[in-house]
Amino acid sequence: MKKLSVKVNNVQHHLLVEEHDTLAKVIREKIQLTGTKIGCEQGSCGACTILINGTPVQSCIAPALKYNGCGITTIEGVAQNRRLHPLQTKFVEKGAIQCGYCTPGMLLTALSFLDGNPDPTTHEIKEALSGNLCRCTGYKKIIEAVSEYVKCAGQPVREHETAKEDSRFKMAGYGRPYLDAVKKVKGEAEFADDIKVKNTLHCKFLRSIYPHAKINAIDISRAEDIPGVRLIVTGKELPIPFGVLPISEDETAMAIEKTRYVGEIVAAVAADTEEIAARTCKAIKVDYSPLRPFLNITEALEDVEDDERIHSHGKFNSNIHKQAELRFGDQKDGLSKANHTCRVEFDFQGLNHGFTEPHSATAWWDEDGLTMVSATQVPHYLHRYLSKTLEVPMNRVRVIKPFVGGGFGGKSDPFPHEIIISHISRKLGRPVKVRLSREEVFLTNHGRHPTWLRMEMGVNNDGKFKVLDADIIIDGGAYASFGVVTTYYNGVLLQAPYKIDNLGFRTRRVYTNKPQCGAMRGHGAVNSRFAVETMIDRLAEQMDMDPCELRFRNFLGPNTTTVGQYRITSNGVKACLEKVMEQSKWSRNYRKRPEGSGFGVACGFFISGSALPIHWNEYPQSVVHLKVDLDGRVLITSGASDIGQGSDTMLAIIVAEVLGLSMDYIAIVSADTLLTPIDLGSYSSRVTFMAGNAAKMAAEKLKDNILQAVSTNTNIQVSELSLKDERVLTTDGKIDLSWIEAVEIATRKVGALTTTGSYNSPKLGGDFKGAGAGLSPSYSFGAVIAEVKVDKQTGSVIVKNIWGAHDPGKALNPLAVEGQLEGSWHMGIGQALSEQMKFHEGLLLNGNFLDYKIPTTLDTPDIFSNIVETTDPEGPFGAKECGEGALHPVIPAIANAIYDAVGVRVTSLPVDPEKILKEMKEKALQEMIS
Amino acid sequence: MIAEQTYLKPKTLDEALNYAREHAGNFSYLAGGTDIMANRFHENETSRCLIDLSAIPELQGFRTDENYLRIGSLMRLDDLKNISAIASEFPALLEAAGAVGSPVIRKTATIGGNLLCENRCIYYNQSQWWREAAGFCLKCGGDLCIATGGKKACFSEVVSDMAPVLISFDAELDLMDTGGNKRIKLEDLYSGDGVKPRNMSQTAIISGILLPLSRDFKAVFKKLRQRQSLEFTSLTTVVSVDEANKVKIALGGVDPKIVVVEGAVGDDKEKLISKCIKGARAVDNDMFTRTYRREMINVFLTNSFRELGI
Repeated sequence: MKKLSVKVNNVQHHLLVEEHDTLAKVIREKIQLTGTKIGCEQGSCGACTILINGTPVQSCIAPALKYNGCGITTIEGVAQNRRLHPLQTKFVEKGAIQCGYCTPGMLLTALSFLDGNPDPTTHEIKEALSGNLCRCTGYKKIIEAVSEYVKCAGQPVREHETAKEDSRFKMAGYGRPYLDAVKKVKGEAEFADDIKVKNTLHCKFLRSIYPHAKINAIDISRAEDIPGVRLIVTGKELPIPFGVLPISEDETAMAIEKTRYVGEIVAAVAADTEEIAARTCKAIKVDYSPLRPFLNITEALEDVEDDERIHSHGKFNSNIHKQAELRFGDQKDGLSKANHTCRVEFDFQGLNHGFTEPHSATAWWDEDGLTMVSATQVPHYLHRYLSKTLEVPMNRVRVIKPFVGGGFGGKSDPFPHEIIISHISRKLGRPVKVRLSREEVFLTNHGRHPTWLRMEMGVNNDGKFKVLDADIIIDGGAYASFGVVTTYYNGVLLQAPYKIDNLGFRTRRVYTNKPQCGAMRGHGAVNSRFAVETMIDRLAEQMDMDPCELRFRNFLGPNTTTVGQYRITSNGVKACLEKVMEQSKWSRNYRKRPEGSGFGVACGFFISGSALPIHWNEYPQSVVHLKVDLDGRVLITSGASDIGQGSDTMLAIIVAEVLGLSMDYIAIVSADTLLTPIDLGSYSSRVTFMAGNAAKMAAEKLKDNILQAVSTNTNIQVSELSLKDERVLTTDGKIDLSWIEAVEIATRKVGALTTTGSYNSPKLGGDFKGAGAGLSPSYSFGAVIAEVKVDKQTGSVIVKNIWGAHDPGKALNPLAVEGQLEGSWHMGIGQALSEQMKFHEGLLLNGNFLDYKIPTTLDTPDIFSNIVETTDPEGPFGAKECGEGALHPVIPAIANAIYDAVGVRVTSLPVDPEKILKEMKEKALQEMIS
Repeated sequence: MIAEQTYLKPKTLDEALNYAREHAGNFSYLAGGTDIMANRFHENETSRCLIDLSAIPELQGFRTDENYLRIGSLMRLDDLKNISAIASEFPALLEAAGAVGSPVIRKTATIGGNLLCENRCIYYNQSQWWREAAGFCLKCGGDLCIATGGKKACFSEVVSDMAPVLISFDAELDLMDTGGNKRIKLEDLYSGDGVKPRNMSQTAIISGILLPLSRDFKAVFKKLRQRQSLEFTSLTTVVSVDEANKVKIALGGVDPKIVVVEGAVGDDKEKLISKCIKGARAVDNDMFTRTYRREMINVFLTNSFRELGI
């Protein structure tokens, strides 16, 4: 240990530190300033950026003692005396904050940059921020915030609170920063790893080094005597299987008899420190007998003996996990009769969500049973499976979701680490904490399935799609996760936005000895959407028709039914496409750009939540409670998880809108299974529609209660009363009560008022096996046009512009909706051009943020965002999904633009410049010959 | 018993060398620390003693010595732009510096550290657990190269972006060591052996980098990477021409050492290129394939010659 003296945010600290401690560790753990975030521990994401004597430094790779005697600024030191720095204010106002995990690093990097360059160009801003990864925003609003700050520099800055003043009562339809944006921008939002519970032990895992191996013995004898070790547990102690879908519970918290992927947890150590726990893991010796691994789709499809298979359950002789097949019409016949047909094979690499906050959780037991604080998108499923796997009733389990640094589907499942630390905590009677390294996050995965698919489409001379047939195989990795749903979604989500009456598909999901795949933004439909949209481009070319025109001829309209009996209500797809065509000057550009430059188009649609719940019961899909007492403040409690997408703010907007209140009268408690009613969580783009509707119902009930009381008290008909601007009014002015006065009247003799709102999907869909897959009370629609530049010598692709439009129904909070769209388009660019999970004999080669290539600011083009509103008849105020659907069209639009630029069709993702070059050469050769 | 960790911060070169002697075999020098610390996270770097050189005045600043510009090895990459002689005589150096890591990294990372950046390979820059699962390769104590499917040589690649451009300008290094000081050509620093990629004793310290002035260099720098930032190189090429029409080509990211090919303006460029490609022992240890990176040598160099008008 050595003494370290540093002045942090103008406070002098003298500390004893381990000599090789990093500054990030010292700041977070010793000085307790947890606004400095850890995202990668390799200096490759920027979340840990702090200022040392004004210069930004990545504190996760900074030895603390190097900076002895220095002055340090962390995010906590940026706001002065409750007053935000004007750049923080801009971040808040412009919606530059979603999950808030990258925000501290982003702000400090920007502040230091602006210090040296107070009047930068947009490119200079992008360049300066290019070492700070953000997975939520697509950077657009961050860059706008910085630009706007630059423009306003020198002008007097209004307090954030006063800036809001003129829009206090503008709710649904008006852009508004998240309620928690100020907390996030100050680094005060507590994420799972920021939460300190007294007397906590730390947990680390020993992970399998074989993709498929029998565990003969686990020897902990050399490990358990290491000083500081409290407990070592192995798989046999937690034998109860789990899985997010009750129909496919095929996983245990740790491997028991055999391991099924490299990285699967084999043993867990709880110790006084993380370092001891990590060291102890190395002292545990496991005797394995390697089994034949199945590492790709081809191997998994082979017929093998029962004892060779990855899982013994299942009805196939191979490693097929699930097969789904649906056929409407006769595809063979359709293809033989169509005027133009096209058949293409595609392959897609797997993807990881890349959220910036690694998983972390703390568990403890007390007189209330188990409490679990975890970075989760779905407290309810975690609640259920902790109860199941630990054999403790649900009334003795409480799950709390703190601030969550992004999810994108990757924090939807119950996870082994959550179950294991709960188990250890119960055994030891002490809180246990775990935080995963970035590598472990990649191994935990549950990301997008690697996919192979062959698709055939036919169209007639009149431009009407006649037939679509798809044979799809998805590589699920070692366990099921959401895989059964993914299997269906790949096929069923082909039935819109175009009318195709002759449609069939078969999807097979295989088990392989790799980290499991599950749900990721745009779940299940991203890859098959890519296939359809690029094939439409081919067919349009065959017919010599503009690909937009071909799409227009086939769009399903509003209030229609798809071939699989999805009920389409509001539908803005046509307006979306028109919007991006006009904005991009499509007709002046498509096929008219110089070689190397190109335009491409694609469309898409997505569900607004699944109409059918995972757990078959009659409990509503969302429930929201409201409570108002004499203070007049309306407390919203909801199980919905705000993971950075802004659902807390959305619920508050809805309640305030109904009750005519400003946010001063609204408070929200969400995602705590003890305090909040059950919500099925933040996945499948369900929250705005379902929890939003529940909130609206609860607010309307509260409104009724209050107006009824005022009516009784004043003898004025309820129908004459309205709630507006924190008052209860009649149009003639006879009644003009403040909200507080009205609440006082309504609570007389009865006390605080509480109401419950709930949402359940209406009965929908057809009466055939598989009819339930993809059913949703509403669907979103969208279109994207992309402009790319392809370097003909290197094959590399640069996306120059994205024009995107999305129909989210009514945009309740347009600022948040734009943020979702921009984040989706950005994520799509990553899948199109740079992101992939690459394996070597089952071992993930690029489980880090250097080699898993999330686009930086410099790789992200100008994005033109358009919200094309429709009014959904059943959505809250007409709202529907906006968090996932926008991702679908962007990837094929880029591929189609590449074709427009250089005449090469992309059939595998991510785009491989090498392949583009090769095909360009072949094409040139063909042209020479002909 | 695990040896205690120590962090030493000498104030003079002599002190640093004394510490090095004292901890011989179990220490690492550290300047900015951006490479060392990331490698420590992966336990590829496990020295119990870190000797932080950043407080040594002799390693800082820059000056003009006779016909040389001498840059202290601790000069941070981001500060190079403040040296007017670099902007005027060696602008390619600024391009290279601007291509390293990310803007924040460049405010910590030093020019000397960049030259000594550990060779990289996708089978090596992994956690200790990962390397155990893959079977430790030659570079971490094993006996085979995984990237090549079992060769007995290590092909981890030199990824310094500064080295190729400095070499193309005939840069030299001042090395201080326990046994005395010497001046070497930068290109002689790199051994070509991926396991021990530098011809430099463990105790030696680069004190300065010397660039010959007034040779009227023109140079073109190019870097192959998937993203525009946050990337180590997959191929760095630099072509320089001086007043005497000497052409010097230096390639990084495609061999354990910097590949250097010299020629003259009048030479057959295709021959120079093929010499470069032949010299580059690139293997499949990067997110880009070996074939592609070799193909890009041709593209980058052809374009560089064109841009130089030679």
